Amino acid sequence: MVEFERFELDNGLRVIFHKDVSTPMAVVNTLYDVGARDESPERTGFAHLFEHLMFGGSINIPNFDGPLQEAGGSNNAFTSNDITNYYDVVPVQNLETALWLESDRMLSLAFTEKSLEVQRSVVIEEFKQRYLNQPYGDLWLEFRPLAYKVHPYRWATIGKNIEHIQEATMEEVKDFFNTHYHPGNAILCIAGNLELDEVKRLVQKWYGDIPSREKKVRKLPQEPKQNEFRTKTIERDVPSDVYTYGFKMAGKGQEGYYEADLISDVLGRGKSSRLYKRLKKELELVTDINAYVMGSTDTGLLMISIHPSDGATLAQIEEELWKILDELKINLIEKKELEKIINKVKTTKAFSEQGVLNKSIALAMNELLDDANLINTETDFYEKVTVEGIQKYANEILQKTNCTQLIIKAKKNDE
Amino acid sequence: MNRTIAPETSTVTHIDFQSPEIDTLANKVKVFAMRKTTDETVRVDFVFDAGSLKTSKIIAQLTGELLFSGSADKTSDEIEESIDRLGGFTGVEISTEKATISAIGLREHIVSIAKTVVDAMINVNFNPKEINQLLQSKKKKMAISLEKVSTQARRAFLSDLFSNSPYGDLTHLEDYDKIDQKDLIEFHKEKYLKGLQYISIVGAINEEGLDAIKALGNQFSKDEVTKIDYDYSYTPNNIHVEKEQALQTAIRVGRVLFNKQHEDFIKFSVVNTILGGYFGSRLMSSIREDKGYTYGIGSGVAQLKETGYFFISTEVGKEFKDLTLEAIKEEITLLQTEEVSENELSLVKNYIIGQILEQSDGAQAMMDRFISVETYGLNFSYYDQFIKEVNEITPKEVKELAVLYLNWEDFTVVSAG
Repeated sequence: MVEFERFELDNGLRVIFHKDVSTPMAVVNTLYDVGARDESPERTGFAHLFEHLMFGGSINIPNFDGPLQEAGGSNNAFTSNDITNYYDVVPVQNLETALWLESDRMLSLAFTEKSLEVQRSVVIEEFKQRYLNQPYGDLWLEFRPLAYKVHPYRWATIGKNIEHIQEATMEEVKDFFNTHYHPGNAILCIAGNLELDEVKRLVQKWYGDIPSREKKVRKLPQEPKQNEFRTKTIERDVPSDVYTYGFKMAGKGQEGYYEADLISDVLGRGKSSRLYKRLKKELELVTDINAYVMGSTDTGLLMISIHPSDGATLAQIEEELWKILDELKINLIEKKELEKIINKVKTTKAFSEQGVLNKSIALAMNELLDDANLINTETDFYEKVTVEGIQKYANEILQKTNCTQLIIKAKKNDE
Repeated sequence: MNRTIAPETSTVTHIDFQSPEIDTLANKVKVFAMRKTTDETVRVDFVFDAGSLKTSKIIAQLTGELLFSGSADKTSDEIEESIDRLGGFTGVEISTEKATISAIGLREHIVSIAKTVVDAMINVNFNPKEINQLLQSKKKKMAISLEKVSTQARRAFLSDLFSNSPYGDLTHLEDYDKIDQKDLIEFHKEKYLKGLQYISIVGAINEEGLDAIKALGNQFSKDEVTKIDYDYSYTPNNIHVEKEQALQTAIRVGRVLFNKQHEDFIKFSVVNTILGGYFGSRLMSSIREDKGYTYGIGSGVAQLKETGYFFISTEVGKEFKDLTLEAIKEEITLLQTEEVSENELSLVKNYIIGQILEQSDGAQAMMDRFISVETYGLNFSYYDQFIKEVNEITPKEVKELAVLYLNWEDFTVVSAG
């Protein structure tokens, strides 16, 4: 049980406090309700570029990292399609340093041309390092626009292409800040061996005078139901083929989400999963296979990723793949199998909540989704899933017309 | 309120280290346990003298990964199924020095999981079909990894630095076609059945559970670890691995150095941190934050049982390769010729000590800290010494150590791309 308190400032900043007496560190986690899905289709990659700019100095403090390091702390941040999250870990006696720094960059950035220019280059190198200069690195750049036609999930957080990053202007940076970076659009989670009254006092001191701005109402075009099998084949300079399948499913926490998550486990999580046992161990058609869900807020994807064995054909693999998928639709799975995967979910959850930083991030993300207390109740949702529920949802999503397929073929070098 | 003034900070002066319970089994195997935890998770590591130093890299890796591949009376599917049913996970980590085989799960099931793991480990029969399936999958993964400039640079760097010792051994794709089952069986017999070194347990198991794990440990025996003296001398080289289509060039620069048993290790860690050991380091400030040549650059001291090596590592836009090497050289020269300011040094000191505090946070972290000194025959007093030396180092010493250990002529310089 992760216990926490919740309070809100007049300017709309929501604060979660988790007391953890076992740690000498304190965490300040700031989640902004903005991700790549909030970008304009003409300026993708912006939320992530912006995350970099948040380290380029704020209105009253020229350097973010230095003072935090001086206080014995460290920090980092990440951007997803849904959110942008910043965290600082400091020795608890230096908590105030983190609050000072974080509140100042919520108040306003320095907006220097130099910072924009450098971070554009850094992000372009990141684009190359992670997406262009790795085998299969562009998989998601190709898959997303195939699976999503309308929703902004059709581009990756890094952006559609390098040009969008190159062309970002200071005007746009300021505009993005004003729209998305303000108390009402953030959730602050503070954790450590602290007292609630002290936390309230310090948060009021550093964040209380940050002006509130109106929270932008999100009006994203929702992805319509997919009614066709989508497939695309691309050739790349890679050593071997990779087949990727995605089935549209419920967004995180929505009806069907937990069923889909468990379906992906039955299919392809670990060495006793159905696809692994059949396609890899028995038939040796693949050298690797796994299934998982994307925990996105809006319409998500249940993914299956396949590395075919040398000599195995796509037709052979697909025939067996669909047999396994159809089996889930026709027959109820045994209770024992469902219990097995729920047990794994419980273990994973217990380990993922170790440490004060992980707990803080989870509390903030759950609060944004619905309620921070999901951290304590989420397992119940998994336990409520029935074998009938699995069958029903499998029938809903594991359909060819709900499936997107990307085939990456290894270019043959004939020299 | 004046937001330009930083709040007062206070320095970490003391870290409260907690030693695990230590017991020695009849077979001399040590058991370390951290049982004062507040959640339901338990992790049990069985650590064997089965690293790649004791054979070839590929045999060590395959033997470890095949431990759950079945025995005369249980198939791999049955083993995986019984672990999964208990919500358990296994871990296999093979380094040059050791093999760590882990049983991971919730408290109520951990003893059953560990029993299954040990039973599988002891009775594995290296079924040829299982060997072949693993080979096919590993060969594919390796072919993919070899496409990465970072892999290419790392391989060239290590094989050059350690050309006279097994630390420089590389696995090649063809090696996968020459595996003999007998080698795996023999290695398993010598280094697993007779090679258990210690067991570490993190999690709130009760006495009964602890006894059960100890009984499992007693099923192995422990041979003396044989120490082999290798020749760590090397000649610095310049190496380029060409990859025409690459968009970025991976760079590795460094030299053979030492591990924490060396008297200069702690103070050199400070020099390393200033140069490339944290986000605000000089290399990051210059090459990422000022020039924008890279997404990231860093340096470190990798510790091996008998030695260690210093490295600088980055991936930069192809057009920035020479500029980056120049900039690295410049930063090193600066460290050797100008004393670091008191401000910068004080920041780095506070940062390093804050990091030790963070890296000791929680039972698993505390166990990791313990193992990382125990391995070298040291104890927790090492960290007191560490904090003391970090606090004491002067700008003059930083400069002297940079002159002593960071000579460009001593570096092997590798680029791939």
